Amino acid sequence: MRPEYALPMAAERLIPHRAPMRLVDTLLSVHEGRVVTESVLPRTSMMADGEGRLDEVAFMEMIAQSYAAFKGYMDLLEGKPAGAGFLVGVRRLEVAGRAYAGDRLLTSTRTITAFGGFAVVEGSVTRGGETVASGIIKLWIVEDGR
Amino acid sequence: MNALRREIRASAAGDIERTGTETGTRRYRFAPGFIGFSGHFPGNPILPAIVQIRAVVSLAEEEGGKTLRLAMVRSAKFIAPIRPDEDVWIRYRRRVDSGMDICDATLSVAGKTVASFQLELAERETPR
Repeated sequence: MRPEYALPMAAERLIPHRAPMRLVDTLLSVHEGRVVTESVLPRTSMMADGEGRLDEVAFMEMIAQSYAAFKGYMDLLEGKPAGAGFLVGVRRLEVAGRAYAGDRLLTSTRTITAFGGFAVVEGSVTRGGETVASGIIKLWIVEDGR
Repeated sequence: MNALRREIRASAAGDIERTGTETGTRRYRFAPGFIGFSGHFPGNPILPAIVQIRAVVSLAEEEGGKTLRLAMVRSAKFIAPIRPDEDVWIRYRRRVDSGMDICDATLSVAGKTVASFQLELAERETPR
């Protein structure tokens, strides 16, 4: 693999989201269909309250952006323009824990199935080994559409 | 309260109109400068899905007078994008199912449904 494609890689190179709505910082690894990204949200994040606690909805976005980073990376490796992706569905996404600004959050995703421009993805967000959120999302991928 | 929640509340374009003991509706308008459009996406602003869900949770908080947390998204469908300055109507129904506080919600723009959710809500715990 060419060195410029080595991981970890800044997510900003791979996804169209920009601050303050970019919640994933780095694509860490892609291995046997499992994708891992890292997020550390600042205290100034729109998602953090006065105690630094992150809004629960942030975890869903991290799962979606993690998959987007994976797709962007695959497009990069194939020399294609990155496609755009839109979240179109969520199923049984449970928020079981909490996280705070400054926490190192790892988001894992795995594609369950992909067909006709749609992808069904399971994902989880962990904090120090504890799962804070997990569930299934559905995305619509527009190839070459960014 | 985080900045996103503050700006969502500020985007409410009217009072909550209760249509029954468990149901109601409210209109929102998210201006081009709304924080949720920042970076999502540059040159192509779309109201993020998580902001739509957060707006429903915030509406349920105001309706019930309690600070809530999102415990689960049982299901959500996002059918069409929401752009800046569109009038967004949120209709909700609160109910209890298997002991859980459920909020069913539908978002519509110009009379067309653009999103629908079924959320499990819980009272927010005390800070750490």
